Amino acid sequence: MLKVTGLTKSFGKLIAVNDLSFTVNEGERVAIIGPNGAGKTTTLNLITGHLKPDKGVVEFYAKNITGLKPYKICRAGIGRTFQIVRAFPDFTVFEHVLVGAISRYGLRAPTDLLKRQVEDVLEKLGLNAKKNTLVRNLTIVDKKRVELATALALKPKLLLLDELMAGLNPAEVDEHVELLRRINEEDGITLIIVEHVMRAVMKLCNRIIVMHYGKKIAEGTPAEIATNKAVIEAYLGEGVPYA
Amino acid sequence: MLRNNRNNEHPEKGLFYSKTIRFLSIIIILIILATLPLYASSYVIFVTAIALLYAMVVAGYDVLLGYTGQLSFCQGAFYGIGAYLSAILTVKYGWSFWQALPISVLFVGLVSVIIGYPALRLRGAYFAVTTFYLAHFVYLILLNEVAITGGPLGFRGIRPPEPIGPISFESIESGYILILFSFIIVYFLLRKFVNSNVGIILKSIAQDDILAESIGINAAVYKLLAFVVSAIIAGYAGVLFAHFFRLLHPTTFSWFLSEMVVIITLVGGAGTLIGPVLGAGIVIFILEFLRFAPEVRYVGWAIALIAVLMFEPKGLIGLIRRMRRG
Amino acid sequence: MDRDGRKGAGRSMIDPLVLTQLFNGLILGLIYGLMAIGLTMIWSVTDLPDFSQGGIYIISAYTAYWAITLLKVPYFLALPIGALVGILLSVAFERIIYNRLRPSGVLSCLLAAIALFFLLENIANALWTPKAKIMSVPETEITLNVFGIVTSYHRIIILAISVSLFLFIHFFIKYTKIGMAMRAVAEDREVAELMGIDTSKIYIFTWALGGALTSISAILISPLYAVWPGMGTLPLLKALVVVILGGFGSIIGALIGGLILGLVETFGAVYVSAAYQHGFAFIILLLVLSLRPRGLFGKR
Repeated sequence: MLKVTGLTKSFGKLIAVNDLSFTVNEGERVAIIGPNGAGKTTTLNLITGHLKPDKGVVEFYAKNITGLKPYKICRAGIGRTFQIVRAFPDFTVFEHVLVGAISRYGLRAPTDLLKRQVEDVLEKLGLNAKKNTLVRNLTIVDKKRVELATALALKPKLLLLDELMAGLNPAEVDEHVELLRRINEEDGITLIIVEHVMRAVMKLCNRIIVMHYGKKIAEGTPAEIATNKAVIEAYLGEGVPYA
Repeated sequence: MLRNNRNNEHPEKGLFYSKTIRFLSIIIILIILATLPLYASSYVIFVTAIALLYAMVVAGYDVLLGYTGQLSFCQGAFYGIGAYLSAILTVKYGWSFWQALPISVLFVGLVSVIIGYPALRLRGAYFAVTTFYLAHFVYLILLNEVAITGGPLGFRGIRPPEPIGPISFESIESGYILILFSFIIVYFLLRKFVNSNVGIILKSIAQDDILAESIGINAAVYKLLAFVVSAIIAGYAGVLFAHFFRLLHPTTFSWFLSEMVVIITLVGGAGTLIGPVLGAGIVIFILEFLRFAPEVRYVGWAIALIAVLMFEPKGLIGLIRRMRRG
Repeated sequence: MDRDGRKGAGRSMIDPLVLTQLFNGLILGLIYGLMAIGLTMIWSVTDLPDFSQGGIYIISAYTAYWAITLLKVPYFLALPIGALVGILLSVAFERIIYNRLRPSGVLSCLLAAIALFFLLENIANALWTPKAKIMSVPETEITLNVFGIVTSYHRIIILAISVSLFLFIHFFIKYTKIGMAMRAVAEDREVAELMGIDTSKIYIFTWALGGALTSISAILISPLYAVWPGMGTLPLLKALVVVILGGFGSIIGALIGGLILGLVETFGAVYVSAAYQHGFAFIILLLVLSLRPRGLFGKR
């Protein structure tokens, strides 16, 4: 459903993303991994329209969405979360997810429809107890959940998650992996996750793309990647990937 | 509308907590305002009318500043354009007030779209500076195009609105009632507007417009909407002012007016709609009260403003809310 | 003015009147540039477009006026006295107000700056009445004829002071420790702190410098126009436009932008419209923001 061809982006002399191409099919759970500075977040930004590529094409369901404004890409069905969590601090959790629902169903949507949608999502992410708490008073983990909940309220077909697992302990990581698996299998949302937490990647994803210095250096199943020489070399400064 | 309970921060019972009390106080204030002509002097009625006009402009502006987070300095310009255009149409071209009113308001709306569309693409401070200069530019036009606006000599001879049936608007009292009526309707509509789904979207843009865009919200359109709404309301108030005061002078519409609007909105409590309205009422009355010490009043007022910013950034409404919580 | 007129010694083919206007435009531009340099420094180092400089402009001008007319201080001394006032006010505002409001965000600080501008303007109004005061300075009376340009000693002073200040600041920022620290904080405050730079000291210094520049430009220009409570609005506006035109954070941009504005305004007032001369800055603003938002020398 998502096809990226020849994507390139430089910032001055630094080539952040270098002729990147890959495909993601419906229903997959794909991870993009790589050492810091490999260009993973930049790639996400290029897909969601927050950055315009110098070269290359992004196609979503065969439609060219390269360089469109972020809100248009969101409306096309691609949702995302951010590496450094972004949220509306002065909203309650309920109101926060409500914005997502309004964006998805429109301004004139009936109140009970919106209410139900929000409550469903809150239920799924276990945020019901906190629905009247102001977002600014939440822990970072909960803020990330709210960010995710809002993205889900938009009923995306493809969800891009940028380092969702950062800062979670192993138990929380497993919880989130389960959550994402359910979202993928039950709600049919295709996932692309950018991650450093290998535990999550190995458990969740059926395909991994490895980036280094802006290029794709490997692609395959978790088992294949774990034994790939190029990948291990790239990570040598960071430690062995399978931890 | 989906308003959910935000009082999860220790709601103790202060003075304004009970909904009944709030409702009653509003009713009482409305009754006092409505019956003012019966017992108050012309002077008091006049000042109240001005206060209501300010309240209208400020409420409209709160939609832009408080709810959408855009700092703009050109409300005075829209107020002035509305006032002068209606004056010119009625005095120089013989239009009736009731024809000039909608056209003037529409024109202000049009101007705000033309300006807003490019201007709103600018980030915060650049946008503020642009509106700042725009207000001044409009002032320059009002001052210099003497043939059209009368320039520094002022624009005189504006007639009150033509009577509707038996209701005449000659007297100060009737002009006041018209203004009061307008204010109530405008405020009521604004309340519905900000409490609607559109209001929530505006609030999201105020907090993080990039995030809002990522959630599929076309922030540019909503910012423009807020800008136009606040401009139209200011223009409408300007028209009412022209036909109530019946004399226009460019200095009334200088940058100072826009400055006052911004400051009143902040002091009253941006983002609450009622805060700025109360702020307008209080400020106008205090300023009038101190009119025998013309220089001192603004200085005292400016000091109060800074004190508010430092100790209660949420403005008057923050203070009241703290009172509400006991 | 007859077309044959080759006034003066016949040395130059350019109409001396035009030359004079050119000179005046440059002088005006230098003053705009000075204030813009202060503003751009403050803005890039502390993230605050400091509107209160408009108020400081007013108060320093009045201080100089008071020193010159009441205390009979010579003009040369009035400059440092006014600059001192500017420094004190700017630093006081930073320490007492902006410092406290910073955690609440830039918007709060901006609003406080606006409020301070409002306050100072009205204090001036209260203390000195709305009537304009003329700052009569003997240096404006002495006329000179330089290369066919008729000008006053005062304008030469402006030229000398502005250019030396600009050179001083330019080398200061480039080569001294404090200058480099300022540039570091302007780029990234957090990183600068991690490198051991005392950012609050740098803030104070930046504000002092900015306040001094604003005051000096106010006092330099006052003998040419008048001193009145509302005198701060337009210079502030124009300084902001110059900052944007020259490029955010660029000192040389502020200078060149100021010169451009000064020339455009002077020639525009004569050849296009005197009534709208203050509108040219607006047009420049619109052009810059739509065509090249980062200005002439800006990095963003």
